[in-house]
Amino acid sequence: MRALRRDLSIYLSIFGMTPKVFMAYQLWFWIGLVLNTIGMAILVFFWRAVYADTDSVAALSLQQTLTYILLAQIFFPLTDVDLIFDFGFNLREGNIIHFLLRPINFQGMYYVQNLSSLMMRLILQIPIAVVATLLFGLQWPTDPATWGAFAVSALLGFTALFFFHWFLACLTFYTTEVWGLGVLIFGMSLFLSGSLVPLTMMPGWLQTVVLSIPFAQAIAVPVSLLTGITPLIQAPLVWLTQLAWVTGMWLVSALFFRVAVRKVTVQGG
Amino acid sequence: MSVIEVENLTKVFKIPQKDPGLGGAIKGLFAPRFQSKTAVDRINFRLDRGEIVGYIGVNGAGKSTTIKMLTGVLMPTGGSIRVLGRDPHRQRIDNAREIGVVFGQRTQLWWDLALIESLNLIARMYDVPPARYKQMLDEFSQTLDLGSLLKVPVRNMSLGQKMRSELAAALIHEPKVVYLDEPTIGLDLIVKERIRDFIKAECGSKGMTVMLTTHDLGDIEQLCRRVIIIDEGRVIYDGPIETIKKKFGKFREITFETTGLVPSLSLPPGCELLSTGDRKVTLRFDRIQTTASQVASAVMKQIEVRDFSLSEPDLANIVKQIYNGALDNGGVEPEAADARPAP
Ligand SMILES: Nc1ncnc2c1ncn2[C@@H]1O[C@H](COP(=O)(O)OP(=O)(O)OP(=O)(O)O)[C@@H](O)[C@H]1O
Ligand SMILES: [Mg+2]
Repeated sequence: MRALRRDLSIYLSIFGMTPKVFMAYQLWFWIGLVLNTIGMAILVFFWRAVYADTDSVAALSLQQTLTYILLAQIFFPLTDVDLIFDFGFNLREGNIIHFLLRPINFQGMYYVQNLSSLMMRLILQIPIAVVATLLFGLQWPTDPATWGAFAVSALLGFTALFFFHWFLACLTFYTTEVWGLGVLIFGMSLFLSGSLVPLTMMPGWLQTVVLSIPFAQAIAVPVSLLTGITPLIQAPLVWLTQLAWVTGMWLVSALFFRVAVRKVTVQGG
Repeated sequence: MSVIEVENLTKVFKIPQKDPGLGGAIKGLFAPRFQSKTAVDRINFRLDRGEIVGYIGVNGAGKSTTIKMLTGVLMPTGGSIRVLGRDPHRQRIDNAREIGVVFGQRTQLWWDLALIESLNLIARMYDVPPARYKQMLDEFSQTLDLGSLLKVPVRNMSLGQKMRSELAAALIHEPKVVYLDEPTIGLDLIVKERIRDFIKAECGSKGMTVMLTTHDLGDIEQLCRRVIIIDEGRVIYDGPIETIKKKFGKFREITFETTGLVPSLSLPPGCELLSTGDRKVTLRFDRIQTTASQVASAVMKQIEVRDFSLSEPDLANIVKQIYNGALDNGGVEPEAADARPAP
């Protein structure tokens, strides 16, 4: 019990620490805002063009699609787990040593850090949300139950994705060549998370593929709930599926880490 | 029971061999070839409670690799380690609670956070009671002069400031075992002195077991009574520093730069030629038999000297001489040094 209290208090400190690290790099915030706005504008014009001669695509109206796409952009930080670069960097620089030297579960520490940084990133998305509302006419869902279902699903999806990335990141213990893997995963998550195209618009086989890898769990699944593309009544089923993802990914990643950590060769000095 | 017990500890690194170019990279992907490098080779030693031991050797001797294995982050290829009765790799987290580590070439502090925030977090991780933490913080502010640094992020610190902060971070939880890998690297004399004093006071008074690597023999002389010298991964000496000092401390080296080529010199007794280079000659003399000025004047009579400098024999030299049998008569047998009285 005491140990648990201690761990929680450590995790809480780590949680509180990340925003301070964030604030050290304010310039990026503004640059990111500009880039995000441009990206959003491109997406909106693209989808308006798609809907130019038709009222619905895969049973979605223009308004529904735009709502989905804009919300997916706003909640994009949910997929933004950059463990691979982070691990890779820490391995390359040998900093991994200091994480391994701490009397605390490394994975737990990273999870809390990522969760905290997710909160931070979501808060930093507020200006983007304002832009989406004012410039692109985003209509926000108003039903609290929908928001609740979304929140649970988002947390589960993010957690599953975290463990999945952890698993991938463990590969860097073997290769130390991170860049290629990182870029590949980033590209895949961009397209397969469903942040550019609603899942329902994808051909059936692609939907199957996307739903059998974890990327979609953090964006497409929760945002579909939020926009009503997935009816609220299905929420418990969605959560259960996601919980299965979390459990599976957690087991696989923790196991792999235990094996991979034997391979650690701390580079330099 | 010793605090640290190391038996036949070995680490072999496998370094992938790559042929140049894309073809080489692809070949390496399918048929990787490895070169083995034995960084630590069947070493044995025991450290008791309260011992401060210097662990020295030339660059690449295997010091850092040993320390990394002792801390538990690196898995040994062979042999065994016990630290406070635990296997540090298998029981990494439990082991981590008991140790403090400084790697002089890296930082364990959060780069972007003010020092005090890093320390707060560390104190929490190691379960330091708040009252004790405050006490330690006050103490360190004095002994390490941290007062003005507490609010500064580590990335804005000078090397000396950083190293003082690192020491505070490594010792704030008063660990039983401390590993210091080059804690004085790149520091000026004043900071070095301060850090030595701090280590002596802090670790000495609390009975911590300390393993210290350094290239500065001054650190060793001031802090350690026992040294372990390793070379190419093997222990070549383990015993009192006194023996080393007696054997090698009485020599000085003197290097002359000359204007012309160096002829063969006749040297005063107790002085021998170490090396001659192009317009350069290095001698070693026994301080008991002769003096620097005698040597210098003897040499200056024979050749025209442009400049000269005096130095202590360095570690590389000591290692070379140990190989040449300098310790064989009456010296300490490397492995037999463990014959110290059992506790
Ligand atoms: N990650 C690694 N992969 C491959 N070889 C390594 C690795 N780390 C160290 N080595 C090799 O092992 C040997 C010992 O290295 P180590 O860092 O232990 O030396 P050291 O005694 O600490 O030297 P220094 O005084 O320069 O710090 C060196 O030859 C080095 O090239
Ligand atoms: Mg080293």
